[in-house]
Amino acid sequence: MRMTNKRMLLLSSSVLTLAVTSVSAQERHAYFGQTHQHTSWSLDAYIIGNTVTGPAEAYQYSMGNVVKHPAGYDVQIKTPLDFQGVTDHSEYVGVIRLANDPTSSLSKLPIAEKLKVTKDNPAVKIFQWLAGSIASHKTIAELSDPKLSGTVWQENTAIADKYYKPGQFTTFCSYEWTSMPNSQNMHRNVFFKDCSKLPPSPFTAMDSDHPEDLWTWMDGQRKAGNEVLAISHNANLSNGIMFPIDVDSKGNPLDLAWAQQRMTNEPLNEIKQIKGVSETHPDLSPNDEFANYEIMNYLIGIDNSSSKLHGSYAREAYENGLAMQATRGYNPYKFGVVGGGDSHNTVTAYSQSNFFGAHGLVDATAKARLAGKVEAGMDILKTGTSGLTAVWAEENTRESIFSAMQRKEVYGTSGVRIQARMFGGWDFDKGLLSNEDWAKTAYASGVPMGGDLAPADDKVPSFVVNAVKDPADGNLDRIQIVKGWTKQGQVFEKIYDVAWSGARQPDPVTGRLPPVGSTVDIDKATYTNDIGSVELKAVWTDPEFDPGLHAFYYSRVLQIPTPRWSTYDAAKLGVLPPSNAPATVQERAWTTPIWYTPSPAAIAKAERGLTVDDLTKSGSTALTDDQLKQLAVGKIFKVRNTVTNETFDVLFGESGQRVVTKVNDAAPRADELLQAMHPSPSGSAAYEIKDGHIVTTIDGTAFELTVYTSGDKYIAARSNEFGFANYEVVSVAQ
Amino acid sequence: MRVLSIAPEDSPAAEREKSGDRWRLLREPLLHFLFVGAALFGGFHYLNPTPEGGADTKRIVLTKDDVRQLAISWLAQGRSAPTIEQVQGLVDQKVSQEILFREAVNLGLDRDDEVVKRRLAQKMDFLAADVAALQEPTSEQLETWFSRNAASFALPGHASFRHLYFSSDRHGRVTRDAALAALAIVGGKSPDDIVGAVGDPFMFKAHYGDATPEQTAKEFGPDFSRALFQLTPGTWHGPIQSGYGWHLVWIDAIDPGRVPTFSEVEPNVKARWIDEQYRQIKASALADMRAQYSITVPVIEASDLQGLQIPPGTSTEFEVSAQ
Repeated sequence: MRMTNKRMLLLSSSVLTLAVTSVSAQERHAYFGQTHQHTSWSLDAYIIGNTVTGPAEAYQYSMGNVVKHPAGYDVQIKTPLDFQGVTDHSEYVGVIRLANDPTSSLSKLPIAEKLKVTKDNPAVKIFQWLAGSIASHKTIAELSDPKLSGTVWQENTAIADKYYKPGQFTTFCSYEWTSMPNSQNMHRNVFFKDCSKLPPSPFTAMDSDHPEDLWTWMDGQRKAGNEVLAISHNANLSNGIMFPIDVDSKGNPLDLAWAQQRMTNEPLNEIKQIKGVSETHPDLSPNDEFANYEIMNYLIGIDNSSSKLHGSYAREAYENGLAMQATRGYNPYKFGVVGGGDSHNTVTAYSQSNFFGAHGLVDATAKARLAGKVEAGMDILKTGTSGLTAVWAEENTRESIFSAMQRKEVYGTSGVRIQARMFGGWDFDKGLLSNEDWAKTAYASGVPMGGDLAPADDKVPSFVVNAVKDPADGNLDRIQIVKGWTKQGQVFEKIYDVAWSGARQPDPVTGRLPPVGSTVDIDKATYTNDIGSVELKAVWTDPEFDPGLHAFYYSRVLQIPTPRWSTYDAAKLGVLPPSNAPATVQERAWTTPIWYTPSPAAIAKAERGLTVDDLTKSGSTALTDDQLKQLAVGKIFKVRNTVTNETFDVLFGESGQRVVTKVNDAAPRADELLQAMHPSPSGSAAYEIKDGHIVTTIDGTAFELTVYTSGDKYIAARSNEFGFANYEVVSVAQ
Repeated sequence: MRVLSIAPEDSPAAEREKSGDRWRLLREPLLHFLFVGAALFGGFHYLNPTPEGGADTKRIVLTKDDVRQLAISWLAQGRSAPTIEQVQGLVDQKVSQEILFREAVNLGLDRDDEVVKRRLAQKMDFLAADVAALQEPTSEQLETWFSRNAASFALPGHASFRHLYFSSDRHGRVTRDAALAALAIVGGKSPDDIVGAVGDPFMFKAHYGDATPEQTAKEFGPDFSRALFQLTPGTWHGPIQSGYGWHLVWIDAIDPGRVPTFSEVEPNVKARWIDEQYRQIKASALADMRAQYSITVPVIEASDLQGLQIPPGTSTEFEVSAQ
């Protein structure tokens, strides 16, 4: 009764402030918000010391009010946000807070004794008990009473409705589905379009920790008229299971239906948050000089652990998605990107110069943060500021922002308010950007980020990119376009600098643009905007476009170097910045890609390539283990990659190490090794021969090489090249 | 159930006017609180009469050790040592909670429904909110209340302004000089009299209508916004620095913010009024119940709180997980 009455009042009061105007795509604005926020209602947040503030305080903070950090000091955001969804863990939401709150009913339950932090029952023990129950699906009945979880969920909704001010500040009804099989992060944040048709309680990882089951539940919600979407996060900590290419989480082969269900329910991925960046890893993208940015690699809860690289990063998923589209007819990885926080403090730090940690009392002071502590696998020094989600929407309302998320006209930033635009099309005028109304033209004659280039024959696509700096942060260094494509099951990427500050010229030999320089005084933790640009823009035409190949293009905007939070902390304490963390950062924005799909006519004209099917149909047979051992062990293979036409000298050592000794008859470069028979930046990896394959393990992931006889030649196929046999053995030497 | 038949919302307004005294009585918040409580949960009372009503049910005794325990649990939440005032607050909270708990038990709310049984104190709060929401204030009541609390409804300032932009991308270190030079040209002229383009193309808008300080801060940076809202109409101001360079600013209209009229914000006033009723009802109901108790709490002095320690291993070690 209470809820209903309140909501009616709130609705009537919001009518006054809601000035609904009809606006078109041309007048979309960038709105900045937080899509990943924990409060004391999350079981782990409470345990690490966030015991007082809840969703209401989270919204107050984001609207610009002063709110208390869990450690008791006041914090305030530099620039208020435009929207936010609080995403507390749905599993046992609120129960620890209530058990330790002497005014709560739950604290009177016998079970509450097990949740209270005491000498014999330290916080970590409680956490392990609850987390163990989630992981083993042994639900603790007293704590999962729908009466209890339903009440907390309703309260969460009432708070979201209370703080929703259409046109000024948008809140969402949302939560985090916390699936973590064997400590491998599969978390998703679930957002509802509106709060009026919510289920009685959310679908939790205790119901199922398989994303497929979450999607099926979401399909059901949608059928009942309740629009909902999920944002996956921390792919970087998923141990390679966030973006599979062969089987789903239940071991079933991927298929069209799986891809469609994934894309329908999960259009977005969080590319950056406090626990690292999921764009790419330096070992996956050795040619990307800016890939080594806020990298974290571990399994949550496990000290000295590492997460497999393959299957854990967005760029590789985009590339594999293209290959799946080309070879199997579906692409489950056409997702958009957003930035998030995952702060467990109710309050969130976005700015390097206003950083106050994200994990309760663990990292609440500069001293604690610089102490080099590793907590449950997490190296505090490697954690960073929150990312931001930016949406191009007509107005600041749930409907408009949710629609932008669904059509993926969104991008992520590292926490700064860079305004980034990108459009793709076939007929953009080179002088387009000199026109004040250029965005209108771009919308009218192209597609924005998140879109697909319309089919066109005999044309080359161009892209309009534009970026305006955060008025309260550093100037801009450059805009890059990251292109990925696939050919005969192999995937490729290339990064183009397309707009930059100053009079720099790309190096004529390497093609690389010189660094922008730095104004950072590391001892004082200061910088100036004497370098870099306020605004960058360009119309860029792909100089290497091949109409027969699937491709994606996204842009990345880099700021000039500014001091990292750890450098600000060190200056505050009067100590040297930690040597095992970068002293400066180049903050950035990543747009959602624009995709190109070749027409059937263009595909028909393209080179077809040789597949394993072709080989077996023509009578080729795969070598057995004994044949492989005889052929390979102790020998140097000269192999030609028939897609790139590069040759590799590969030594399969007697000791079980495989080394790439030469590429194109010269010492190999790291980026060349990516296209070698097995990727590994070091060129060396362990291998063994079993089950008819040479199995090489790279960064924890096993790749199989199968060698076929074809006439008097040997042809090899790699297990992650989608059925193609791309390697011709040119010669074998002792 | 008989209580509901004469509840305010069920009665026509005319009857309300006639039966003055009775209604005045019924508008007493405490009565509402108890009536609704009885209406919602009274059934339990009849079915489960209170078994015992010993003398001790109206006595609440806290010892110094109890108080120290409260202070220790405060410490164990990772806060710094509580002040005397804070401890008094904790004691007060503890006493209130105990009273609400016992009152609820007396009403029989602790039976049958396990969840209700264990959420008594909170349920009593909810009841107060229900009572507050049941009341239908008149416009006069709201207006009177608004006149006392108008300042808290203050609307943010607004500025309608035009600006000439001088881009640091184009002028580098002499951007401010470029703006100053332009000021010499446009100074004394109204924006409509300026011939030809002065300044550089701006990424967003050249003219802003009715922008709030927050909107201006999001668009230009917080320093620019603060400077802008100090300006007066009718002349060119500047150069003023933003996150993008320097600007000359012409204010068409500016208001520093104002208190709205009642009619503009009536729905908000009503929501706030109900919130306040809720707090008042809760406070007066509690005060009334509290009057029936004899309460003994020790005098607390600073020395009582000396040497507080969290028992070893309680909660000083925190582990981050699940994230």
